[in-house]
Amino acid sequence: MGTETEMNGADLKPGFCPTDGEIEKWMASAFDMAKDALENGEVPVGCLMVYNNQVVGKGRNEVNETKNATRHAEMVALDQVLEWCRHGDVDPQSVCMRTVLYVTVEPCIMCAAALRLLHIPVVVYGCGNERFGGCGSVLDVSAAQLPHTGTAFKCVAGYRAQEAVEMLKAFYKQENPNGFLTLILVPLACLWSPSG
Amino acid sequence: MEPQSKRRKEAESDNADFWVALPVLSDQQSQDTELIPAFAAPITDKKETSRLIKELRSLYPLTGLTHIKRVRSHKSADGLYSPQVLLCLVSDAPDVDLHSESLAIESLLPPDIVRVEGLGLPFLVKIPAFPPLTRPQFQLASKHWPTTFHEDKQVTVALRGELFGGPQKARMQGYMEAALAAARAAAGLGSGQEPVGAAMVDPKEERILAVGHDCRGGNPLHHAVMVCIDLVARGQGGGAYSFEKYPACTAAMSPTSSHSKPAAESSKTIARVVEEGQPYICTGYDLYVTREPCVMCAMALVHSRIGRVFYGTASADGALGTKYKIHTQKDLNHRFDVFKGVLSQQCKDLYGLKDPIKH
Ligand SMILES: [Zn+2]
Ligand SMILES: [Zn+2]
Repeated sequence: MGTETEMNGADLKPGFCPTDGEIEKWMASAFDMAKDALENGEVPVGCLMVYNNQVVGKGRNEVNETKNATRHAEMVALDQVLEWCRHGDVDPQSVCMRTVLYVTVEPCIMCAAALRLLHIPVVVYGCGNERFGGCGSVLDVSAAQLPHTGTAFKCVAGYRAQEAVEMLKAFYKQENPNGFLTLILVPLACLWSPSG
Repeated sequence: MEPQSKRRKEAESDNADFWVALPVLSDQQSQDTELIPAFAAPITDKKETSRLIKELRSLYPLTGLTHIKRVRSHKSADGLYSPQVLLCLVSDAPDVDLHSESLAIESLLPPDIVRVEGLGLPFLVKIPAFPPLTRPQFQLASKHWPTTFHEDKQVTVALRGELFGGPQKARMQGYMEAALAAARAAAGLGSGQEPVGAAMVDPKEERILAVGHDCRGGNPLHHAVMVCIDLVARGQGGGAYSFEKYPACTAAMSPTSSHSKPAAESSKTIARVVEEGQPYICTGYDLYVTREPCVMCAMALVHSRIGRVFYGTASADGALGTKYKIHTQKDLNHRFDVFKGVLSQQCKDLYGLKDPIKH
């Protein structure tokens, strides 16, 4: 499986970028989550937010149970980070500014904007999302000039991309009976392949 | 002295004619006509016209420019009309020296393919590169060279600001007033709330389903649109949040929400969910929001399959017209109509309610 990565987006604060070891470790967790979801017939997207070497947010897609089409895994995870801060009585912005999102699929346009609004500096993801991707696949919200929409963030793309795509494909196959709907909802896999 | 609120009410009800909802069209529909240089020549002998057109078409078919009319009737300085024919694009004749004093027609038209009999001296023109999509584009394009135009009547009427008449406009104003009231309530809360309000409406039933305002003081992602979407979900028995501490955020509980027995669920709402298999519960609904949504909110509306969006005033990073036009984005699976300008002045005035220190 390829471990090629591709960097883009905003310049990072010096000293703040996950090491290869961290990426490997946390993406392994994200992939485990995705696999778990797949086995339970859920959208196979794994997503976690790591601050100071600890998981402060972990999300799965909750669109169905909330009837709210915006409850993507990333949005759920971001809410958990905010909750974690409230609980520990720490300033959310100072935590978010040092928190990395590890997610198996490129965040959609909405989630990418939400990540900006909360000043998340780095997003590590597996495969691209040709239908909704907000880190370059449809729009590049991660790096765009949007001075009133938080902070641009850096993307590390392509980690175990093929594996992420295969899981999504498997999901659509098993979901086929009740149709195209899931196809629309879920960040769709693409034929993206890591470059380099 | 009259109470403030009463005066404002009167002012608002008088204001129906002072705003106009204009469509926010795609870039293709709203951009200026792109022009490309071409050669044309006067037809000096009208009897030769059809032969010339036939021969020119076989030599220079002008592929991809089917909207361009080959011949135009040109009004000269003395007020007389004479026909002119399009020969070819400048790019079709790469060897021609555009700066030479007189252009030899033979360099454009090989005599064995086009007999130049009946043609005058060639000259440069600019022709519209793309078919006009709106009447203003058509009128601009026609100033350069005549084109065909397949008019979308609804777009023409909308661009004149005449899509919504009398009673409909009054209803729209009522919906935006609900959003404005929520925005003012948010401003009154202080503690980091922005003065933005939104109302979700079922246009078929002419019913407000939810009213919400910005709650970013509590959660930085709780923009008015996100709040409204969740309130609608809550009204249908879902929802991820409680906005109970914000009295101006309300959802009309549908009889089909989880609080009633499934058997009592009306066929209509069930159909909305079941037919599509997923809870796209904003399908067919209209959202009224005091200012243009940001990228997050605009994409949330795509995910929610919103019907139409009406906003009062543009915003600096807005994603339904200003920075992006997410509602017309070609790669996305859901598109919708957007109108701006509903009660625009009142919506602009909300900015004055912002905390002057924080701004
Ligand atoms: Zn998303
Ligand atoms: Zn927003």
